[in-house]
Amino acid sequence: MEIQKRNDVTVIVMDDRFDAAVAQKLKDVVRNIAEQDRIKLVMDLAKTRFIDSSGCGALVASLRAVIKNNGDMKIASPSAQARSLFQLTRLNKVFEIYDDVEAALKSFSQNV
Amino acid sequence: MENELTVRIEVPAEMIMIRPLDVFVRNLIQQLPAFCGTEGLVDNLELAFSEAFTNICRHAYKSERKGPVTIVIRVGSNQLEFRFEDNGESFDPDKVRSPNLDKPCEGGLGIWLMRQVMDEYLYHSEKNGKNVLRLIKHISA
Repeated sequence: MEIQKRNDVTVIVMDDRFDAAVAQKLKDVVRNIAEQDRIKLVMDLAKTRFIDSSGCGALVASLRAVIKNNGDMKIASPSAQARSLFQLTRLNKVFEIYDDVEAALKSFSQNV
Repeated sequence: MENELTVRIEVPAEMIMIRPLDVFVRNLIQQLPAFCGTEGLVDNLELAFSEAFTNICRHAYKSERKGPVTIVIRVGSNQLEFRFEDNGESFDPDKVRSPNLDKPCEGGLGIWLMRQVMDEYLYHSEKNGKNVLRLIKHISA
């Protein structure tokens, strides 16, 4: 995964597969980042061809960690497979999902 | 190509195997006539496979006691079957609580997802300590 900074928003770009092999690493990374108060985080899934329940669990854990310190997390660019899985598990009602990173970044400034 | 195909693989139940296995399984399925042009179905099969293998690594074999997993992929004219055999701890899938989708959790979706995307989820344990999980998808003619 790659961590980027876009102004005051942290963007985490996930790799091709978002599964149990990387889920714990993401949770550890987000836990560290989320220690800051009011963190703004975008999970960029543009490169993620496949996500399973471990990936979904890591996203839920990340959202919880961020919200705990008054921050917010959004998801950008999910693939058709990811959208289908989010819909099946009703996580599409839990996550704020945007078609691309720019839209997700823009939503932070609109939330002010 | 013949309608019947059986592939048998034995690997260690280690998370490092999940990616090469999933790449292999996806590439295999995509080449089968019954699955050409059905990306959504292939996605679901890959998901079921990934969930099953992950569960075996995490739960059948605890950290100190690793072991092998035998995977058999059997494709017939009217069904595809993933069969996983391990010698780890057995469990009763009927005692696993279904997830409450209105209260998102960080885990516990694997078996439920396998049951959603596959047509049959069959698990049994044999007296010799072998656990067998069969995931079956029916294929339309």
